[in-house]
Amino acid sequence: MPGYSLHRENEDQLLDELMQQVRNKEKIDERSMWQKIADWAQARSIYMLHYCTGCGAIELPPTMTSRFDMERFGIGPMATPRQADVLLITGYLAAKTLRRVILTYEQMQTPKFVMGFGSCTLNGGIYYDSYSTIQRLDLYLPVDLYIAGCMPRPEAIIMGFNRLKQMISSGDIQGWKDYEKRHDWYRKNQDKALKGEVYVTR
Amino acid sequence: MSPKKRVAMELDPLFERLQPAEVFFTPDGKQLFLLLEPERFMDGLVTLKNAGFSHLSLVSCVDWLERGEFELVYHLLRWEDGKRVALKVRIDRENPVFQTVLHLWPTARFYERDIHEFFGVVFEGNADREPLFLEHWDDIPPMRKDFDPQPYSQKIFDEREYQHPFVPHIVQANPDRLPWEETIDEAKKGGETNGGK
Repeated sequence: MPGYSLHRENEDQLLDELMQQVRNKEKIDERSMWQKIADWAQARSIYMLHYCTGCGAIELPPTMTSRFDMERFGIGPMATPRQADVLLITGYLAAKTLRRVILTYEQMQTPKFVMGFGSCTLNGGIYYDSYSTIQRLDLYLPVDLYIAGCMPRPEAIIMGFNRLKQMISSGDIQGWKDYEKRHDWYRKNQDKALKGEVYVTR
Repeated sequence: MSPKKRVAMELDPLFERLQPAEVFFTPDGKQLFLLLEPERFMDGLVTLKNAGFSHLSLVSCVDWLERGEFELVYHLLRWEDGKRVALKVRIDRENPVFQTVLHLWPTARFYERDIHEFFGVVFEGNADREPLFLEHWDDIPPMRKDFDPQPYSQKIFDEREYQHPFVPHIVQANPDRLPWEETIDEAKKGGETNGGK
């Protein structure tokens, strides 16, 4: 290529630069100005639904209260799904609980986000061979962010929330739109795991 | 006196009525297990209830796959002195049917419902056989020893596919050398080659 030496280091550098250009081109912000302002505000006021499914919930009280105090990052607990922004799946999720979680998620108002918490939501964790515990959360709900660990410490939770805030304010987060777009695919997976009965109100 | 002896002595007058086939103790010697024949079992429970063991703490079930038996364990407690006795009975695994104890302890309803759900034991006289925990269960009862949870889990719940799965491999140990000696040698070798360059 004219103007560039064929030395190996420079070639790598050239590739990196070209890749960076491609990445920058791909990432065109299509949001309107009002949407950008709304996302900016949304990222600074996150209400987390206080619905604890597994043992990971034990890491949340120190995160919420004075020791780690996540309120200084603009994150607070919320009692009802209709007023919450984030659904945190804390730990293992039994099929029986998944029915209730799906109902809860669908009650939440958009924009809404799902965080998978702990190794059980990633790959089943120590419940990999359980007859009633799901293996992968993102088959059933659109997970925006996973926090790995068994259990993740409050520092990791706060780090995960900060990452979520970055994703919200940059407009990267598409989970709830994906759930609407590919609802048939999610419903197919839910039907398989829950044997046909997804909604229960008892 | 050892706790084992003391427990046995205190309950000695009851042994004649109960006629246990076998007597077991927990390792600390404080709890007594009596194995009764199925036809003498209800009589044994009534005898113990009359002797003050009025509280049914727990009914549990053990699956003895090789023996082809289910073992039902009834834990009883006497409030006067805090003594505990557990009565065991073994029933056929192929045809797991036993009598209910609802007429003695109405609280046994939920234990029996639980055992029916997870082991498939039918308690005659207890009409409440609705599943307590599982929803839409479609296999053999899950707490039986011949139920393998992993294939069931793989059938129902899809797993995450990894591009680089972790494959454990066995390293043959050298019996003449200790493992850390090899590690030290390798480290030395690596240091020499790097230094040479």
